[in-house]
Amino acid sequence: MVRQTDRQAEPQSAAAGAGGDGKIDGRHLRSQRTRLRIIEGYLELAAEMSPLIPTAAQIAERAGCSARSVFERFPDIHSLQVAAVDHAVALIVPSPPPREGDGREARIRAQVESRSRSCQTWLPLWRSLIANQGDSTELRARVACLRQGVMDRLSAMYEPELSTVPEAERRRVLIILEALTDTESWARMREYFGLSTEEARATWHQAIDRLLPPTPAAP
Amino acid sequence: MSLTEGSKPARIDGRRLRSERTKQLIIEAYLSLLRERPVVPMPTAAEIAERAGYSVRSVFERFPDLSKLRLAATDYALAQAAALAPPRHVEGDRSTRIRSQVETRAGTCERGVALWRVLLFSVAEDEQLRSRVELGRKRTIERLEVMYRPELSTLSEKERAYTLIALEAITDHESWARMREQHRLSFEAACAVWIDAIDRLLPPTPSA
Repeated sequence: MVRQTDRQAEPQSAAAGAGGDGKIDGRHLRSQRTRLRIIEGYLELAAEMSPLIPTAAQIAERAGCSARSVFERFPDIHSLQVAAVDHAVALIVPSPPPREGDGREARIRAQVESRSRSCQTWLPLWRSLIANQGDSTELRARVACLRQGVMDRLSAMYEPELSTVPEAERRRVLIILEALTDTESWARMREYFGLSTEEARATWHQAIDRLLPPTPAAP
Repeated sequence: MSLTEGSKPARIDGRRLRSERTKQLIIEAYLSLLRERPVVPMPTAAEIAERAGYSVRSVFERFPDLSKLRLAATDYALAQAAALAPPRHVEGDRSTRIRSQVETRAGTCERGVALWRVLLFSVAEDEQLRSRVELGRKRTIERLEVMYRPELSTLSEKERAYTLIALEAITDHESWARMREQHRLSFEAACAVWIDAIDRLLPPTPSA
């Protein structure tokens, strides 16, 4: 039986022996592909079963491997969760920056559309992540990082307005904008209040327009 | 034990009262454990019994299973929120009403965020919990309508709906929790964020 330490030695030998032992490279590649299938299997199941998380057996079945293969690559489901979140985040295509000369209306519209699409796409996984972060410092750190990313985006899109107010007020506005455009906020509008996509976007648009300070006149 | 005809009702009432009090203590024990350890969705029956000062048997005599305890605790928390947070200063001026509503809502969120998180986690598998979550949201919206009636009355039906939804979103339990936990704001500073935001979101107050 190949022990975990033997498998851990493989990547180094594969890297060091580029173009060397083809068998070692092939094993490494297959191992990485299996790892990726496990991560993708977890993500699919987490989205389908949200907020419940899948078992190793369910993940293995979806990935087309054994439960042993899952635990050979991930010591526990928690480490798989962390790897899966990192993988999902790496797939996120950054939203385009605000275009030079775009006015307040255009920027609000663009940010609302972008954010709503993101919320709709990531809702099941987000719910799974939030519900199961527990006391995991790694998962909590990733949640905090994702939220900070949203705030950074808001800060960039509404820089003209936010630049006119003191730092404390800027921070208050950003905190509220992030709360308003939270993924669960989107879900509530669609699921609980029964709004269509257009109505939900209009709700955000109206609120953001009221929350933002006035736009400074163009120079 | 034989009871005289005249004394029978008082003894039964006493037993019932004691049983209800035990139920309440068990519920309060569950809620206090949630507040202390919000990452654990369901404390064990042994933990709840120990905190309440009763036996595990006493817990299961009153609640067939822990999901029933969770449901009872939710009903208890909803009733408590209503009792501790009646609408105040409804006839006050704009800033008084905003401050009053924010401080009341902040208190509710401060007390209830742990249970709220448990409910949201469990609502997919429990239809009865879903109805409680919806009731909680409905009451929040109704409170907003009462407190901000003057301002909301100046809006069209659609704008009014959008404004209420936005107000509910920014004063959600999780919004409060993020200000306190992630942004590390004090109770007062978090209230100030909400007061500022609500003042921006509401249309001008019509003159008297």
